[in-house]
Amino acid sequence: MQHLTAETFDQNARDALGDLVLHGALRNLADNFGERRKVAMASVDDWEGLREKARAVKEETLLHLDKYLLQFVDNAEKAGAKFHWARDAKEACRIVVDLVNERGAKMVVKSKSMATEEIHLNDALEADGIEPIETDLGEWIIQLAGETPSHIVVPAIHKTKGQIADLFVEKIGIEKTNDVDVLTKTARRILRERFAKAEVGISGVNFGVAETGTILILENEGNVRMTTSLPRTHIAVMGIEKIIPRFADLDVFLKLLPRSGTGQRLTAYQSLITGVKKNSDNEGPDEVHIVLMDNGRSRMLSHPVTRQSLACIRCGACLNACPVYQQIGGHAYGSVYPGPIGAVITPQLIGISKSKQLPYASSLCGACREVCPVKIDIPELLLHLRAEITDGIAGGAKRNPQRKKKFSESLAFKLYGYAWSSQFSYGLGIKAARVMQKLIVRDGKIGKASGFMAKLLPPLGAWTAWRDAPVVAAKSFREEWRTNLKSE
Amino acid sequence: MTETRASENNAARDAILVSIRGSLAVSKPFDAEHQKHHAHGVILQGKVHRELSTKELVDNFKTNLESVGGICVIVANEGEAAIYVETVIEKIAAKNVAISDSDLVYRLTETLDGIDVIQNATKDILFDCDLGITSAQWAIAETGTLVLESEAESHRLTSLVPPVHLCILKADVIRQTLSEILELTSKNLSKTITFITGASRTSDIELTLAIGVHGPRELHVVVVADQ
Repeated sequence: MQHLTAETFDQNARDALGDLVLHGALRNLADNFGERRKVAMASVDDWEGLREKARAVKEETLLHLDKYLLQFVDNAEKAGAKFHWARDAKEACRIVVDLVNERGAKMVVKSKSMATEEIHLNDALEADGIEPIETDLGEWIIQLAGETPSHIVVPAIHKTKGQIADLFVEKIGIEKTNDVDVLTKTARRILRERFAKAEVGISGVNFGVAETGTILILENEGNVRMTTSLPRTHIAVMGIEKIIPRFADLDVFLKLLPRSGTGQRLTAYQSLITGVKKNSDNEGPDEVHIVLMDNGRSRMLSHPVTRQSLACIRCGACLNACPVYQQIGGHAYGSVYPGPIGAVITPQLIGISKSKQLPYASSLCGACREVCPVKIDIPELLLHLRAEITDGIAGGAKRNPQRKKKFSESLAFKLYGYAWSSQFSYGLGIKAARVMQKLIVRDGKIGKASGFMAKLLPPLGAWTAWRDAPVVAAKSFREEWRTNLKSE
Repeated sequence: MTETRASENNAARDAILVSIRGSLAVSKPFDAEHQKHHAHGVILQGKVHRELSTKELVDNFKTNLESVGGICVIVANEGEAAIYVETVIEKIAAKNVAISDSDLVYRLTETLDGIDVIQNATKDILFDCDLGITSAQWAIAETGTLVLESEAESHRLTSLVPPVHLCILKADVIRQTLSEILELTSKNLSKTITFITGASRTSDIELTLAIGVHGPRELHVVVVADQ
């Protein structure tokens, strides 16, 4: 299966808009998660206060990330965990593949982890003859289909029940059924066989507590608990930004994350794992390995605007709230992280030259900022990245010497500035526009500009390629007021 | 870890730390200006909750556990708890029952007749058990959550692998809030702490709720009031 890339976002989005099956699959997303989130939010005393607190904790951590990382490693090592530092995706994959090979395992069970998606760990394992089994139901479905996740929390949200039923008929050979319970039970039966046999389990991490060396993983299905307690070796892969300073800080994050992600007060399970078991005859794995991965994250610390990206707790609320995501789904973004947060993280992870269209994949409506549990100002980040694309001025980067402002652009902005600077010039501008627009208004609207007009006014061409431009009214409200309305 | 592996690991660690410190230094001149517009750190305006009675805590716990589909019964003493255990075994026609190493659970299952009660079951045996019985060290009333600590009870697989999980706990381990529980568990931190709120669930297919995907499909909690 051919995966989409971020470089072709504009085309991907157009294709997705025409995909009626996709729209059917996404139809419940905003209502379902959006409404549940509102109800869950109301069950805490001070939601705004919690968001502020969470962001303050994250900011404090990020400003001293070196210190807290070392504290986390030190405490987890004392508790028996082994640490592996990975500068980039390749190094992280190599570490995990080596660990699995050294244990002679040919198959591993995995619980859902965006970090392992980001580094394409499954490809690396398969290339070395190791079979990775995704055990989260949604992840398993897309693994069977040979696809990638289209949502951070519900990876198979783009698939309809019918498509999943067909997939199970084709790949597993069960009788066709649209009964979600039967489909779920089938997954349980097949994956249990894998859990019983697996020698290595690979998970992600939601939070790493510096004070105690604890990792915490949230879930609803129980596959994380299976993955981290049945196999003899547990490997956890985490980004360096997952650290929080104190055990007590878990309180705010455990209140915010489930409510924002799935509208639950708490997900069904939380596993808090501190190192490895004390005695060999206790239950649980003999070894716990933690892979700490940078992969472009430390760079994001170099400016307060980009640093916000590292506060993200991967709840997916911005995806559910985004009018763009709701229409096109996750695959169109062509990156591991979709939606508003993906549009800001991806360019920073894979380089802006490979994802130039993503910072524009937004109408800047601000719905994402509104719902973000850690108050990431995503529109601010989008604008920052746009500025980086056009000027190369942001983030301490050097001014892009290639970039020269076009004469026509400077002139346009000068005229615009003049027109808005006084009531007189504004009135003059409107009058001029009223006359000039006669050239392009057809049937009372400004439709697709083509040929000469599009060349003369490039922004008009770009705007009207997909929608009508507004027409200046024959009379302004003020003029109307003076002549007609006032006397009534 | 071989020697080269260890030195590679150290090199990676040092490079990452250098990168973090370098980036933070670059950011410094911008930080103060940004702080002016984005100051975070407002003090929480949470209500101060009055101390709740054990009865209120039990009621809150029950209400919240039931709101996520858990089954909660309150009994007066251990004898009644044992009767409820038998009822569940009968209802699901359990033949093999896995129990944790909790003394309370052992006492309540000692007298079971015609049932295989297995303590410290191995992985393979657990997959054939119909019921897992554990206790819990703490419970959170505001969310209906069970809190199990590995140092106090060997609970990880018994509460997870069998299709039905039954948990017996004393009323006096219930606290109202998550923050109280974090404080209590941090004092003598177990290697593994498991929070359990309801049965295993998923909404991965068209956001339709399905119960019992990997973990138990049923969760029964017996609260022993002991008054």
